[in-house]
Amino acid sequence: MKRKLILVRRKTGTRPMDIKRIIAATILSGLILIGFDYFMPKPAPATHAPAQIAATPPVSSQSSLASTDAAQNAAPAVAARRLTVRSPDVQGSITLKGALLDDLVLTKYRETLAKDSPLVRLLSAPGSAAPSYVVIGWENAPGSNAALPELNTVWQSNDDALDPTHPVTMHWDNGQGQVFIIRLSIDSHYVIAVQQTVENHGTTPVSLIPYQRVQRDYEAQGGSWTEHEGPVSVMDGRLNDESYKNLRDAATHPDHTYWAKNGTGGWVGLSDKYWLTAVLAESTAPVSASFGFVPGLPGTAGSYRVGFTAQSAQTIMPNGSISMNSHIFAGAKVVDLLQSYSRDLHVPDLDKAIDFGWFSFLTRPILTLLHWLYVHLGNFGLALMALTLIVKIILFPLAAKASASSGRMRLLAPKIQEIRERHKDDPMAANQKVMALYKEEGVSPASGCLPMLIQAPIFFCLYKMLYISIDERHAPFFGWIHDLSIPDPTNIFNLFGLLPFDPTAYISMLHVSVWGTALGITFWLLQRQTTVTMDPAQARIMQFMPLVYVFFMSSFPASLLVYYTWNNLLTFAQQAFIQSRTTLPVPVTTAKKGR
Amino acid sequence: MHSVGYWLSRCVSGVFVLLIKAYKLCVSPFLGQNCRFEPGCSTYGLLAIRQHGPWRGGYLTVRRICRCHPWSKGGIDYPPPPDSA
Repeated sequence: MKRKLILVRRKTGTRPMDIKRIIAATILSGLILIGFDYFMPKPAPATHAPAQIAATPPVSSQSSLASTDAAQNAAPAVAARRLTVRSPDVQGSITLKGALLDDLVLTKYRETLAKDSPLVRLLSAPGSAAPSYVVIGWENAPGSNAALPELNTVWQSNDDALDPTHPVTMHWDNGQGQVFIIRLSIDSHYVIAVQQTVENHGTTPVSLIPYQRVQRDYEAQGGSWTEHEGPVSVMDGRLNDESYKNLRDAATHPDHTYWAKNGTGGWVGLSDKYWLTAVLAESTAPVSASFGFVPGLPGTAGSYRVGFTAQSAQTIMPNGSISMNSHIFAGAKVVDLLQSYSRDLHVPDLDKAIDFGWFSFLTRPILTLLHWLYVHLGNFGLALMALTLIVKIILFPLAAKASASSGRMRLLAPKIQEIRERHKDDPMAANQKVMALYKEEGVSPASGCLPMLIQAPIFFCLYKMLYISIDERHAPFFGWIHDLSIPDPTNIFNLFGLLPFDPTAYISMLHVSVWGTALGITFWLLQRQTTVTMDPAQARIMQFMPLVYVFFMSSFPASLLVYYTWNNLLTFAQQAFIQSRTTLPVPVTTAKKGR
Repeated sequence: MHSVGYWLSRCVSGVFVLLIKAYKLCVSPFLGQNCRFEPGCSTYGLLAIRQHGPWRGGYLTVRRICRCHPWSKGGIDYPPPPDSA
């Protein structure tokens, strides 16, 4: 039955192979457009606390809750004094209640492009909408029961402000002979040095385990399949990253710990797309790193906790004192800054907080080069274009070889057309005849599968890099592109803003931007220039590709479109150049005809 | 009864074939014609795995892809017949 159907079709001149392919291509294009929408990372609704959060936490009305964890929600009505934090790159404050670093904004970065936009807030007090803070403290070793500072302990200090020239000291006497001291100093960027000391003025030894941790008490989200956000750590040179979602599984684990690892030195933190809050251990300190999640009371979010404890208890003899040093990093993930901290503080691979991905060996140097170009050219878009040019020059020999070959192919086109006509009903046979002809003439239609496979990771790296590069954040380009890291806002379906509605609000696919169109046009140009005679069904599918690309690419960050359009133009110019310079040897066939 | 090895190679074959078919359907149309050989590298892979099983077939496929570069001659190239192994 099936055979018969095919025979009938053959008689009418339509080839079933073609139909199958065209149907496949149509379905595929549809699937891609729809599937893409699903996989594409949505422009995340700001994961940060709205910056207008008051610096002092609102006073909670519940005060009868006795548990230590609940104590933080039940803030006593006494408003504790705050020490101001001021450095060129950050400003905020430390509350003497709990000695928490719980208020920090980055002075060099704003939430949005608006001139009066609030600064990016990294840390926010307990009780605010998105509590996020750093805790320095001590635990009792087994058998010890010293009174310890807690989250609502009010500390004393003679200082008012922490800035690069003035360290601050906070102290608390537990009334049993032990005095706890935290001394902080800040550099001019994002690092605060911490020294936590216990002095024992009592008559018996105490055994304590110091800890440092970063804590978030809200439903933290983030991350996508292209870029990691969440708990991250490097211990003994190994990167460990987890999702907040995985951490929530720790709610039922013993000690609420999801992951733990012993090591000497290292760092642990919570990473956002462009920011990092982390605690860094001394390079010689034996520490135990952990990620955990402590579930909250019903209706509250619970708390994500990542940090260090000392591996073994410190026993402080009467009239003795013991200190532990560490650092806090709270700031933007600028590659060279992270690298210089790694060097200066002997912290392993702090730059791994940037999610370089599987191809880090390639992404890392490309990102470094791009940053260098950005610094020297002053515009991220221009830097990206320069980078593309450099990659093109490196790959030129490969392209030259392929182009010269395809130039010679042009002369064979009529001959191939003839073969295709003759073997209309059997594309396989036609392909073989064509191949035989190529071989005879010593030309080949394409550059081969290997170069294509080599280029795939390069494209992937570029794509990845455009998601993680902090230089790209809020980077303007020419005209209407004010932020290269988000899609081109123009849309042909509302006549570039002339009609007062947003088509993507109804169907998110209805977005064709100006840069998307430019990409489609350059793609079409390139296709016309390079297309070699191929099987006609495939040629027909390929004709639709520019259109598919226009829809497919419009929702990508504008930078990617700029890159791709520019790359197409360069390829176009390169081909034209090569073709104009290639002197074609007289092919065998024309020579024969001439005789 | 078949041995564990038999089932293992059946499964691996299945995974390889699925990957290649997914590539042919989803990726290949976007890239245009790149291969210098007939049949193309992906078809070669399917044939090689069918005839030689996943291990030797996979090896033949990798070798073929490595031969498929701008300096190769190209042309007609089928997997070797099964008994030549």
